[in-house]
Amino acid sequence: MKRKRMSPQEYKRTFRKQLPLQLFVLSGIAYLIVFNFVPMLGIIMAFKDYDISMGISGIFTSDWVGLKYFKEFVTDYQFPTLMKNTIGISVLKLIFTFPVPILFAIMLNDIRCIPFKKIVQTCSYLPHFISWVVIAGIASQFFSSTGIINNLLMALGLIEEPIAFLSSAKYYWGMAVGLDVWKETGWWTIVFLAAIVGINQDMYEAAKIDGAGRLQRTWYITLPAIKPTIVTVLILALGNLFGGGLSGSNFEQSYLLGNTMNSSASSILQTYVFDVGLALGRYSYATAVGLIQSIVSLILVFLSNHLSKKFTGVGIV
Amino acid sequence: MNRTKRKNRIRSREDVILDIIIYVFCILIFIATVYPFWYVFIVSLNEGVDTALGGMYFWPRAFTLDNFKKFLTDITWLKALGVSVARTVIGTAIGVIFTMIVAYGLSFKDLLNRKLYMTMIIITMYFSGGIIPYYVLLRSLNLINTFYVYIIPGALNTFFLTVGLSFFMGIPSSLRESAKIDGASELKVFTHIILPISKPFVATLVLFIGVGHWNNWFDSTFYVRDKNLMTLSFRMMEVINKTKVSATAAAAGISSTTTSLSVQAAAMIIAVVPIILVYPFLQKYFVTGMFAGSVKE
Repeated sequence: MKRKRMSPQEYKRTFRKQLPLQLFVLSGIAYLIVFNFVPMLGIIMAFKDYDISMGISGIFTSDWVGLKYFKEFVTDYQFPTLMKNTIGISVLKLIFTFPVPILFAIMLNDIRCIPFKKIVQTCSYLPHFISWVVIAGIASQFFSSTGIINNLLMALGLIEEPIAFLSSAKYYWGMAVGLDVWKETGWWTIVFLAAIVGINQDMYEAAKIDGAGRLQRTWYITLPAIKPTIVTVLILALGNLFGGGLSGSNFEQSYLLGNTMNSSASSILQTYVFDVGLALGRYSYATAVGLIQSIVSLILVFLSNHLSKKFTGVGIV
Repeated sequence: MNRTKRKNRIRSREDVILDIIIYVFCILIFIATVYPFWYVFIVSLNEGVDTALGGMYFWPRAFTLDNFKKFLTDITWLKALGVSVARTVIGTAIGVIFTMIVAYGLSFKDLLNRKLYMTMIIITMYFSGGIIPYYVLLRSLNLINTFYVYIIPGALNTFFLTVGLSFFMGIPSSLRESAKIDGASELKVFTHIILPISKPFVATLVLFIGVGHWNNWFDSTFYVRDKNLMTLSFRMMEVINKTKVSATAAAAGISSTTTSLSVQAAAMIIAVVPIILVYPFLQKYFVTGMFAGSVKE
């Protein structure tokens, strides 16, 4: 609106006055165009017969094939497994990694011994900063057939034979979700704890006078007060549902902990894109598969945002 | 009198039960977080052959530094360490400066075309071309298999851009205006007024972007083939991938007191130590620097 009322001379003059700032921002915008918007154009590969030997111009000159690659993927024998794993792991992560930090934050807030609270909280988010490579390494030390978990279970007489946690499809989902909870709980607790600390203490005093117990105060004051934070984090998690929710760890987990023995449970859309795209060089096909995932994610963001606006009045987009 | 007393007692009984639950839960979380790191630490300091016998839980049983010696004498690991340090230092410097100046420029509400710029940034946050078009782009920019692929593609992070944006917008505009009345140029205002008061935000950026570079194994794995350009994280990933399935077979095959598992433990300690060293600074700054702006949205 404001810009329309500006004459070209005025526009030029203001622009010149803002020149250093404009140059700052335009450098960033130029960067985004090259590294974010140009790859978006590359999506047309999904509808074409592209080969890497054609160079970048080949993206535009190659033949159109329509939805051929989408059809091929949907009818591929791996399609049901990939979808089952991608959706299953993602939904389980949402169910478990999302509420645990809220619970942990409420508990931490109730601890009156400040040094204890500080130590527990500070340690709890250390794993967030450790790469999945190391976490996968720790997991492989703990859960291997001679690892400490199997050792312990056998010493306690709970099992006779070591359990093949790492190389059996049965245990992959549980391990992926469990490691995710372990790595990210402390981190997301910070967000919720910050919201809880910001709650007006008078409300608690008033509730206390009215005879509300601690559980009641948590249920009727704390949870409603941090609802906007809960909704915001939930939308973020839903938006990245197929990436693995809050931590976006699906790919790294699958790549680092997946192997030929557990692939029926660990292979997901993202690793498949890598396998067929970069390893086998089927660029058009892999782009099509990736595009399906991007579009579903986008729909999920807007859908969850819309629903949350409707029911709670809070939205982020 | 009597009534309040009874009420206090009832309340305190609920208090006690809840306190027990809370403390037990928190202690469990504490143990579950710290113990795995401690265990890897003692494995890295124990003779690998001895570790393989099992039953070691709290202290190294057959203390040795051999696992670490393997690294410090192996040229490929030293090289990888060098590449990791180089990419972390250079990549962090470039990433921080770039993110700062773009966020600063955008923080002016009366910037021409601001709405257009913001829209473009938001689009990139919700939609991307996907990994394959991105790879084709990197290839055609000749970044594949060069050191630059560690630095350039991640130089501007839109998430930190939005964090920075809300940070700069929180600075009172009167501060900038008074400096401009005194005749300072836009650049001078940035370097002399804004930068000095942005220390918490700069520290947050340095730490987060730095940790990101240090931990990244992805780009070495998919964008680089040159063995001399591999990072420490990538080498770690190789070690872990090699050992994850047949840990016992690997352990049996080595004649000295080290095993692939004990060497792997030493590698993990080397990868984690820098993060533990910067950790006190990380947590000093990030609550104020990171979540101050991003949570309220």
